[in-house]
Parts: sequence; structure tokens; C-alpha cells
Amino acid sequence: MGLSGFLLRRTITSIITFFAIIALVFILSRLTGDPLAELENDPRISPETIAAIRAMFGLDKPIHEQFVVYIKNLLRGEMGYSLHYGRPVMTVILEKLPYTLALLIPAITVSNYLAYRAGLEIGWRRGTRADVWSMAVSIFFRSVPYFWLAMLMLYVFSVKLGVTPLFGATSPGMSFSWTWEWFKDYLWHYILPFSVIVMRATLAYLLYVRNAVIDLLGEDFVWVAHAKGMPVDHVKKRYVARNAMLPIVTLLGLRYAFLIDGAILTETVFSYPGTGRLVFEAIYNRDFWLLQGVVVILATSVIIANLIIDIIYAVLDPRVKLR
Amino acid sequence: MSRAPPKLTRRQRFEEVLKTTREKLGDYAFFVRRHRPSQIGYTILFALVGIAIFAPFIAPYDPNARVALPMQPPSDQHILGTNDMGQDIFSELIYGTRISLFIGFVAALVGTLLGTAIGIIGGYKGGVVDEALMRITDMWLSMPTLLLTIFLVAVFSRLPRGTIMMAVILAISLTAWPSVARLIRSAVLRVKEEPYIEAARAVGASSTRIMLYHILPNVTPLIVIEVITRTAIAMLTESSLAFLGLGDPTAKSWGMIIHYAMWRNALFLGLWWWFVPPGIMISVAVLSVMLIGLGLEEYLNPRLRR
Repeated sequence: MGLSGFLLRRTITSIITFFAIIALVFILSRLTGDPLAELENDPRISPETIAAIRAMFGLDKPIHEQFVVYIKNLLRGEMGYSLHYGRPVMTVILEKLPYTLALLIPAITVSNYLAYRAGLEIGWRRGTRADVWSMAVSIFFRSVPYFWLAMLMLYVFSVKLGVTPLFGATSPGMSFSWTWEWFKDYLWHYILPFSVIVMRATLAYLLYVRNAVIDLLGEDFVWVAHAKGMPVDHVKKRYVARNAMLPIVTLLGLRYAFLIDGAILTETVFSYPGTGRLVFEAIYNRDFWLLQGVVVILATSVIIANLIIDIIYAVLDPRVKLR
Repeated sequence: MSRAPPKLTRRQRFEEVLKTTREKLGDYAFFVRRHRPSQIGYTILFALVGIAIFAPFIAPYDPNARVALPMQPPSDQHILGTNDMGQDIFSELIYGTRISLFIGFVAALVGTLLGTAIGIIGGYKGGVVDEALMRITDMWLSMPTLLLTIFLVAVFSRLPRGTIMMAVILAISLTAWPSVARLIRSAVLRVKEEPYIEAARAVGASSTRIMLYHILPNVTPLIVIEVITRTAIAMLTESSLAFLGLGDPTAKSWGMIIHYAMWRNALFLGLWWWFVPPGIMISVAVLSVMLIGLGLEEYLNPRLRR
């Protein structure tokens, strides 16, 4: 099968996944009960009025027709109104999304690079003191609640030392403009949340790379390379390091999803105005439709990211297309 | 001609299981005695369980009662000071042990059992059933776990007669099963090819019977490991949810204490005794469970032993 066949197949599964997720969100949202139930208990509202409201929102239609309407609205970008913001959910999310993406995409790149380099070195030295200690440190950090670590960082660097700001993506009163002043302010606010996300992502990923490297060290071709007297450094750089890159690409999609979770907590702690913080605000204000919108948008972004990654992978490694 | 083995009564069978279990436990105890991480893990965990059980005797105050002025620094009467409502933070911490351990363990147990059921059915049945189940599993796995859990809690807590704690447990277990299902399935695929499974099928055992009596016992070690590691993860997830405000304010877990500390500005007021101790408790609890899991993995999977 050629590349175009693979592309077509992969795109179709992505679309199916998209609709499955939408269906799931739709069903779960309907589980929360009749939105007009509270009105029915109010004696001042006549049954006719309630019926009229029901008809207005299409709630009198059978559930499958409601689903079609729901998807149609969704594809037009209509996801209802945010109770708290008083604006369409879509507008609110699109306003916040750039902040999150500007946090996540560099974080993925940097943490992948760090984890790859460190994992390679640790895996290469398996069984040594350095390996044992870095494993211990990584297990320890995996037990520490991540949001709490972020809070400690905020406490130490912003409250105690005062070297980083207390909250936000820019200083109050600073509005966006293409100036150096704005960018400097933005970077100043960016550095702490960014470092926290990178730290967590690197530590979580280090183990994968290390284990991948250790698996590779047992492979025949590595033994052969050693046996025929190839310089050790050459084996490491050309044989092991290169092959250890494969799992990085395969797991990229999962790592994007993992970082979204991180962004929810990080942005909440640092009051960073991204989509992650929006999740917290939606919980806090009981803004169900906003939460639903964020879930749909972020889930869709994961599906798209996975699709792109698979395509890149297929281009890099032609064997994938055969499966 | 070979004779059929004597049919065991229910009681005899039970005793046999009891005997092998006791032998295995003895083996494990011997292993633990030489495995330092397991020892540390069990010591901490037993201490925490003790604290949870005897909370009323250990905690100096009722965690829900206003016992002093709000936001007091640590003193002789209140080791960790008081929160914004004048509740004793140390007592909150002691009682929080109950909530955090309970939610973590129950959610992990339910999630693992669910994942095991799906993994066994998919692995044993194969074909379309397997394909469908694994597609759903993959889809579920590719989504951001915490985001999904938050959404599920939001949905479940809006159900009529649902409590927030039930919603949290249900949501965590519903996001925990996919990775368990994958793991169990791959183990089942290996077990399935064993001759005794074929023999059981040949004498006409139903697939339900084979799955329950022949496959399930073979994946039990895996289930034990999964419950333990999932407990650590579930405790962390619970604390994240509580931190974001998805928890029971009348039965505060450690995460919930941090939530209140965060949004009553403990950070900016410099009240470190409010938000640092609960984080340490979570870390220590999760670490103890992880260490036990590490030991179990090494014990049950001898390939890992050095």
C-alpha cells in the first residue's frame, strides 16, 4: 500500500475517532438530566411556556435528531454560551488557545530533547550508580503531586525571592502589541510555568528513553557492532542513539495529551490565561458548557496531533505503511 | 485406562487454595525481608493505615470544628496552625488520610477489575469483539487522562442522588481501565495458547468457565501489581481533582486542604504550614505504594531480579 492509501486510511480513522468522542461527550452531557427540570417545579411558569422553551432549543425532538443538530452546530463552531463569560464558548476558547499552544509546543520540543539526551546517557550507563540514582530521583518525583511542586516553585521564586511574577501571562494593564516591551514582559511570565511543565515532562519521559536504550543494547546488531571492534562512541551515536529516536516519535501523541493534563494544573497554579486554566474556571463557576467545549476542542487537537505525527512517522519509517 | 481424578468437594478445594495462598505469602514475606524498598513502603503504608483507622484518637481536634482564631501560625495548641475557618490543620491532615487512601484504593480496585474483565474478554474471544474493545481502549488511552476525568466528575456529580466522592471514584476508575485492559489482554493472548486451555475446551467447558477458572487465575499476579500501581496513580489523580475543587468540602482529602490553602491565598500570605504538609503526606503515601509495587513486580516477575 502506498503513502496515499495510508493517508486515506489514517484520516478516516481519525474522523471516526472524532465522531466517537463527540458522541461520548453528547451522551455524557445528556446524562446530567433535563436542563429544564428545575423550571418544571416553578409554579409561576406554565407548562405551555416550558413546552415552548423545549421546542425552541429542540429538546422535544428524539435524541438521535438532537445528536444531528448537535454535530451540525459543532461543525459550525457553535458550542453554546459560557455562563460565566457571557460569550460564545468557541470565542472564549479561541482567545485562550494561543497561550496554551505557545506553552505546550516548545515544552514538548525541549522536554523531548532533554529526556532523549539524558535517557541515552543513563541507559548507556545502566546498572551504575548514576543510573540507580537517576531512577530513584525519577520515581521520587513521580510520587510528588505535580501541582504542589508548581506551588512550591511559585512560593519560592515569586513570593519569597520575588524574581518571577505572581500570576498571569502579562502584567496587568499590558495589552498585546508587537513590541519588545510586551515580549519581555511575556517571557518574564512565561519562564516559570514553562520550566515546571518541561521538568515534569522530562522526568516522566526519561524512563521510556532509558528502557528503550537498554532494550537496544541487547539487540544483535549492537553486539555485532561491538564484536567487530567498532569504536564504542560510534556504536553509541550511530547505532543506539539513532534507533532510540523511534519510540520518541511514536509516543509524541501521547506526550501531547500528557502535557495537556500538565497545562491544566500549571495554568491553574500560575493563573495563566490559557485553555487549561479555563478548565479550572469552568469547574469553579459550574460552567458546564464551557467545560464541554474545552473537552471537545482539546480532544480534537489531540486527534489532529496524532494524525500529523503518524503521517510524519510513515514518511520517516516506510515499514509503517505496510501494516 | 487412566482414572479420573477424585472430585473435590467445595470445602476441600477451598482448603487447597488456602494452602497454596499461604505458601505464596510465605515466599513473598521472605522476599520482602531482603528487599529494602518494599520494607520502607510497607512501614509507611502501615503507619498511614494506622493513622486512618485511629484518626479520632490521634487528632487533637475535630477537623470540622472551629477551634481557634483563623490563620494562626503553628503553636503548642495547634502544631500546624489553623486554616481560614479556624480549623486545626494537623487534625485535618490526620482525617484526610482516610479520604485519600480510601478513594485511591477503591478507584484503583474498580478500575483494575473493569480493565481485567475487558482485557480477558477481548483477549480470549478475539475477532471482532477484541478489535472493537481494543479500538475503544486505544481511543480512550490517546485522550488526556486528567481532562477526561474532570469531565466525568462534572457529569457524574450532576447525576441525581450522586455524591461527589462517588463521582470521583467512578471517574478515576473509568479512566484507569484502558491501560490495565491492554496489559491483561497481552497476558491472556499468551495464556490462551497453553495446552490445558485447549484441553478444557476439548472437554466442553464453556468460554465463561474457561475465562473465570483457567485464565483469571493465571493473570492474578498481574492484577495484584496493577491494583497497587493504580492506587498510587489514583491517589495522585484524586489530589489533582481535589486541588481543582472537585472534592467533598465536608470530608477533606489532602488535595482538598491544598485547594483551600491555594484559594485562601496561603501562598501569598506565606502560610507555608498550610500547604506544605499535605503535599508531603501525598508524596509519602504515593511513594510508599509505588515502592511496594516495585517490589511486587520484582517478586512476581523474576526476570527483573538481578
